[in-house]
Amino acid sequence: MTAGERRRRTFWQILLITAGLLVLTLISAGSVYLVNKARDDNKWVVHTIEVENQVNTLLLEIRRAESALRGYLLTLGPEFQADHQKAVAAIIPALDRVRRLTGDNPEQRASIEKLSAAIDTRLDQFARELELIRQGQPAQATALAREAAAGNTIATIGKVAGAMIAEEERLFQLRTANADRSQTFAASMTGIGSGLVVVLALISIWLVRRSARARDDAEARLRDANVNLEATVDERTADLREANDEIQRFAYIVSHDLRSPLVNIMGFTSELEELGKDIFRRIGGLTGVPAGGPPVDVADIPLDGPDKQLSADFSEALGFIKSSIARMDRLISAILNLTREGRREFQPERIETRNFIEGIVSSLAHQAAEAKAEIHIEPLPNIVSDRLALEQIFSNLIDNAIKYLKNGVPGEIRIRGRTKLGYAIFEISDNGRGIDARDHQRIFDLFRRAGVQDKPGQGIGLAHVRTLVRRLGGTMSVSSELNAGSTFTITLPITWNASNRNADQ
Amino acid sequence: MTLPVTIIMIEDDEGHARLIERNIRRSGVNNEIVSFTNGTAAMRHLFGADGTGLAQKGNALLILLDLNLPDMSGIDILKQIKENKYLKASPVVVLTTTDDSQEIKRCYELGCNVYITKPVNYENFANAIRQLGLFFSVIQVPPAAS
Repeated sequence: MTAGERRRRTFWQILLITAGLLVLTLISAGSVYLVNKARDDNKWVVHTIEVENQVNTLLLEIRRAESALRGYLLTLGPEFQADHQKAVAAIIPALDRVRRLTGDNPEQRASIEKLSAAIDTRLDQFARELELIRQGQPAQATALAREAAAGNTIATIGKVAGAMIAEEERLFQLRTANADRSQTFAASMTGIGSGLVVVLALISIWLVRRSARARDDAEARLRDANVNLEATVDERTADLREANDEIQRFAYIVSHDLRSPLVNIMGFTSELEELGKDIFRRIGGLTGVPAGGPPVDVADIPLDGPDKQLSADFSEALGFIKSSIARMDRLISAILNLTREGRREFQPERIETRNFIEGIVSSLAHQAAEAKAEIHIEPLPNIVSDRLALEQIFSNLIDNAIKYLKNGVPGEIRIRGRTKLGYAIFEISDNGRGIDARDHQRIFDLFRRAGVQDKPGQGIGLAHVRTLVRRLGGTMSVSSELNAGSTFTITLPITWNASNRNADQ
Repeated sequence: MTLPVTIIMIEDDEGHARLIERNIRRSGVNNEIVSFTNGTAAMRHLFGADGTGLAQKGNALLILLDLNLPDMSGIDILKQIKENKYLKASPVVVLTTTDDSQEIKRCYELGCNVYITKPVNYENFANAIRQLGLFFSVIQVPPAAS
């Protein structure tokens, strides 16, 4: 999965969540709004019904007042009169209630005014009829009632009230429809919103599952890669080890087989030398003995002239051959020793470094005294390592320090040590002749030397030391300037074990 | 012990063989020297056609053995000599170019009597061989198993 793809996927997920939240918010807001609206609509529906009821109640009270008055007129029973008065008393409050309820509707208000006027007229009629009855003129009261019944007041009341009820009926229809619509709208909105949320959730789940699958795939690939990497590293390590072993074997066999003809060359050169001596002795005998003289030992006769020159040339030639053979033998021995070192198994042991170095220094005391060198050993950290390898490392370096001092300057050699992060760092410094910066790498190469070649040596020591240090899992370096002394620094693991070596090989 | 000691030299390098022989002679040893340049011929001589070593029964032998032979390992020859009841009493001198301590140790373990490294320094080599000559003249080759 590329970074771009991952970013795009994250973007989509955030977008989905945002969209889901937005939809949910809209649904919530819409629902609150719609519920409020529905409640409002319902309130209006209820209001309409209430208005209707109140109008009906008003009409009922008027009818009750009429009928009670009629009963009173017929029977003159005081209970009818009380009933009538109770009904009349209820008419005005009922009218007020209707007026209050319909205060919002100008049409109804106009109707109320008409109704109110009609009711006032009617109440006046009631009062007059009642007065007539009380005065004992029932016939006039009856006439008045009849007149009122025939008059348009009652009709007006009926008509106006009917119109009001019809109006409220209309409003009721309207408001019911409104309320229904609100509810339907709320329901459909909730439904659609929920559907959307569900769809978004499904997409989200799909995306999450897809990315989970991608992650699983990536993990599996990573695991495979790791396993492969380990296998590859093992394989390469094995290859390297094999190649290394092969080089070691090769070097061993080559140096070993080179030695065999060298033995012959040297042997027969020596034989030739002996032969040469015999030949020149004879020549001397033949040319140097005075004829007729007493016999003398041929060995005592000195050669002269061209014969002496021949003998010298012969010896010189043999001398070059022999010194070359000796040199070649040293080189071959050096290679053999190096391969042997490369094959030796290290034995880690605890080393009291200071005592150990003192031992090496005392074995070099004679050379040090000859070179007028003083060796100072500072406190050194103890380490666990291979004793023989360490001995070779330190004795080579101290020997070098003694060997390459400046002529005529008292030598001062210091051996210091410290520890850092699981490594022991040793420094061997001198005030000797130093090494030119361009030779710093070269001195570690096999058979290479630097500076004035006034000391015997094969150019093997430092190559050997570096091989050993590397095998011990360490590193070494030099810092030096010509005529300003040298410091060789060796970094070795404080505790050496076989795994260091395996890591190194 | 009346039979003179025969020196068996198994050495593939003729130059080496010649140098060894000369130096032995120089040290005054005049015993018969039988030379072989490969392991197979030497083995046939030592162990006979039947390979039992019966052919050399009762002979006093001193064996000079080079370890690097073209056809077989000198170590194997040493091992077989020291395992054979007729030959195991014969002294074996291993003469080789290797001064590998492991190899020297192995040779002594297998029963070699002397191990000499052929040094390139001829003086040392000659000295070693001459001393070997002296050694030949003083050793009492034990009677071979009968």
